[in-house]
Amino acid sequence: MLDVRSLRKVYEGAGRTVEAVQDLSFGVGKGEFVCILGPSGAGKTTLLKCIAGLLLPTAGEVMLQGRRVTEPPPGLAVVFQEYGRSLFPWMSCRRNVELPLRQKGLPKARRAELVEEALSAVGLGDVHDAYPWQLSGGMQQRVAIARAVAYEPAVLLMDEPFAAVDAQTRADLEDLIRSLWERLGMTILFVTHDIDEAVYLGQRVLVLSAAPTVVMEDLAVDLPPCRDQMATRSSRRFAELRAHLYEQIQAAKRGRR
Amino acid sequence: MSGRTVGVSAWRAVSRTAYLVGLPLALVALWWLASDRSTSYYWPPLRVVLDSFPGTWFTGRLTHDVVPSLIRLGVGYATASVLGISLGVVLGSSRSLRAAAEPVLEFFRAVPPPVMVPILILLTGIGNTMKVLVIIFGAFWPILLNTVEGVRGVDEVLADTARCYRVRGPARLRYLVLPSAGPQIVTGMHQALSIGIILMVISEMVAASNGLGFAIVQFQRSFAIPEMWGGIILLGALGFGLAMLFQVVQGRALRWYHGVRKAQRGGG
Repeated sequence: MLDVRSLRKVYEGAGRTVEAVQDLSFGVGKGEFVCILGPSGAGKTTLLKCIAGLLLPTAGEVMLQGRRVTEPPPGLAVVFQEYGRSLFPWMSCRRNVELPLRQKGLPKARRAELVEEALSAVGLGDVHDAYPWQLSGGMQQRVAIARAVAYEPAVLLMDEPFAAVDAQTRADLEDLIRSLWERLGMTILFVTHDIDEAVYLGQRVLVLSAAPTVVMEDLAVDLPPCRDQMATRSSRRFAELRAHLYEQIQAAKRGRR
Repeated sequence: MSGRTVGVSAWRAVSRTAYLVGLPLALVALWWLASDRSTSYYWPPLRVVLDSFPGTWFTGRLTHDVVPSLIRLGVGYATASVLGISLGVVLGSSRSLRAAAEPVLEFFRAVPPPVMVPILILLTGIGNTMKVLVIIFGAFWPILLNTVEGVRGVDEVLADTARCYRVRGPARLRYLVLPSAGPQIVTGMHQALSIGIILMVISEMVAASNGLGFAIVQFQRSFAIPEMWGGIILLGALGFGLAMLFQVVQGRALRWYHGVRKAQRGGG
């Protein structure tokens, strides 16, 4: 489905070069939910942007559905952390969700259907005509998720999407993403710096080192597929995985590779 | 919104309107009283000025002078807007073009538009073409420069979002670039409107056979002083009316922007 092969990204600045990503290789199967975990400054966003085709890698390549990514590929949606800056403030929520569908060339009736479905799937059946800035942060991020879902992507990339919402909303949104994934079966790549979140959401957790980034560990999360905020988080296995990842991240911060 | 905030905002609206209407009225009254006993030939009493007003303006001058002025302003302003926004989008989207064009732009921007009048008279005569070109030349720059800034300032995350969802070409312009630069473009158009009015008058004062500026100069040269004052009042009222119209139109077009600003200030 998605293959990242020896990806390397060097930023050329004025008089100095920064090697953000040294050598990354991993694969993601169709329908998998993979979390990418790393300390802050680990080049997670750089990696995501390369996968999304927003940045060109210095070396190596990203293959999506057998094709090399050189620009944003069709069938790929991204949810950014800064929900306030990723929704178009001059459009109502409905039009925000609809715009990518219009670009896809879908007929009007189908667009209306998808918008309706997506907004009610994220629990916002009644705010179609509101503008994003009239909503709370959590609701804005739901609109952004609805937009991604309505697009019917094969791959959904999420860049620390819940880092800027409060804890309660965050738990709700985590469950929302899990249930959307179970229902729609798209491949999800979820970037986070939050260990608990990575374990709770993912089937696999890729641990990244500090920059220049390599993959430190590819960990399968062997928790039962049905996750629950209370039961899952208080289970023994959850605690073990969490402790293990915590050590890994600490090691990464100390510079282990 | 509670009953109290409704009361407060209603009170604000009332006092604002009262101020908007009351202040000009008070100033007119002051003028009226101060000039009432004036015997100066050049400062006639406001009473005399207003007496002469209907006979001067409502007997054919409205169509003969005011309408031609407004048409020139309208054509010049609209052309400057279209040119300024189009070129602004092009320059704002390309760093290399911007770098190449910058010295030229800086030079022309620094040229005071009225000095173009003599040159344009030589090139195009003293007809409407000259006056419209002068207005375009003056109104173009603020619109262009503000559009360039607005287009450059498109939010990076929003631009990435548009790219991911493959919003490009004309759709990108329509749904991302133009609305995003909208507030800046409007700022430029606001400045351009007052410049346009000034240049409309100046071009008519230098060489014309009709128009508001022409009429005012005519009155002054034929020592029809109350009529001259009346023309100045009319010009002021016209400028005020256009500015109000502009406010209403931009308030509607940029409703989202004012909403965002209000939300960011934490008001409901």
